[in-house]
Amino acid sequence: MSIQVENNLKKGDNKDIFEQRAHYMPCKIEEDGVANVNKYFEPHITEKDGELTASFRGHSLDGVKMLLPDGYRGLVVTEVKKPLAEDADRRFQVAGGFKEIIYWNWDKKPSKNDNLVKAMDWIDIAEAIHGD
Amino acid sequence: MSSLQDIQNIIKAKDNTRNYVNLSGIPSICKSKPCMLGVDEAGRGPVLGPMVYGVAFCPIEKKSILEDLGCADSKALTEEKRDEIFSKMLAQVDALNSVGWAAEVISPNYISNSMYKRAKHSLNEVSMNSAIDLIKKVAESGANITEVYVDTVGPPEKYQAKLCAIFPDYKIIVAKKADSIYPIVSAASIVAKVTRDHALKVWRFTEGLEMDYTEFGSGYPGDPLTKKFIREQIDSVFGYPLLVRFSWSTAENMLKEKAAICTFEEIDDEDSTKKVKTKLISSFFAPPPENSVKTRKRHKFFDERYLRMTNAFE
Repeated sequence: MSIQVENNLKKGDNKDIFEQRAHYMPCKIEEDGVANVNKYFEPHITEKDGELTASFRGHSLDGVKMLLPDGYRGLVVTEVKKPLAEDADRRFQVAGGFKEIIYWNWDKKPSKNDNLVKAMDWIDIAEAIHGD
Repeated sequence: MSSLQDIQNIIKAKDNTRNYVNLSGIPSICKSKPCMLGVDEAGRGPVLGPMVYGVAFCPIEKKSILEDLGCADSKALTEEKRDEIFSKMLAQVDALNSVGWAAEVISPNYISNSMYKRAKHSLNEVSMNSAIDLIKKVAESGANITEVYVDTVGPPEKYQAKLCAIFPDYKIIVAKKADSIYPIVSAASIVAKVTRDHALKVWRFTEGLEMDYTEFGSGYPGDPLTKKFIREQIDSVFGYPLLVRFSWSTAENMLKEKAAICTFEEIDDEDSTKKVKTKLISSFFAPPPENSVKTRKRHKFFDERYLRMTNAFE
């Protein structure tokens, strides 16, 4: 099976599409699709000295902007139709991208002990082990 | 602030996702003469809109003015009558010269956030803190408070002991149905109720919903308009606009049924003990189960960081 990713947005002059705002939520949301982020969530974000606060489903959130590691970019891809056969080729379209994420914790200030921050250690270690 | 219209305009100008305090001027006689102060709340039960804490205060020697204004059991007063009494408190010279008031509007978002904290913060705590802060604020503004009367729904003894510890110099009375016994509490109740009613009337949805109180109703879970709102105005991902108290069971149950399921990290209760699985001693002597393959245990570096080998395209 091969995976192909097509990027039809590359030629477009809409650069914002690769600088979308991505929110990393501190809960599992059992839904896959469009969300009214700009209506229900973003108007209530406040920022003070780089510390962000917001509210989701009645839960208070503490957040921070997090840059992706050097040399990495975030991509959003979609698949028009997933093939039925497990070993069939897969085709994905690039739908957008992001260069930073807004990382949210539930009622806890983000810190270097957060799992996502710690997980990024692997990027440097992997480079040291597997890099040229 | 000299009319209900002014109050509405002030409320409208505030960010309705946050708490704020409206405070009248302190009449100069309240700075010299010993004053009584009443505390009451409005909007504790509704699933929609803010809860409001109100205080009213006046010199003890002037307390007859409260009866002149019509401050009696506020539950027995109609909405029009309460509006009329509060309007007088805002405009009539006699009232302005001797009665002061303050109201804290506690946003539904603050209520949800407090009740959904990692270390839960109950509505009773939110209430008590609001009452304490309002009393402090009035005293700091120069009013000579000597007596405090508080209406409570819960057991009065604990609440009274707490207030006495914080305000040792005041005579403090906490009682159930205080608003029908003490005119000063009735005045506080009117301040709170009228403020809550008008806060709902001027509610604007930051989420862009084009509707108002004529459509979402009083906010009480039994109100048919409120029921309809809770049933219909659901966003699958975000649940409700911030008018709603997410922590109310009415809202929780409806979201469980009609919106995407959201699961937050579970907080361990202090008394829950972790079960340690101890292997039976006989298991060490038993032959290994059939077709057991020894898998290499992954380094804890990965476990600690929740890193796994996975296929994102599954």
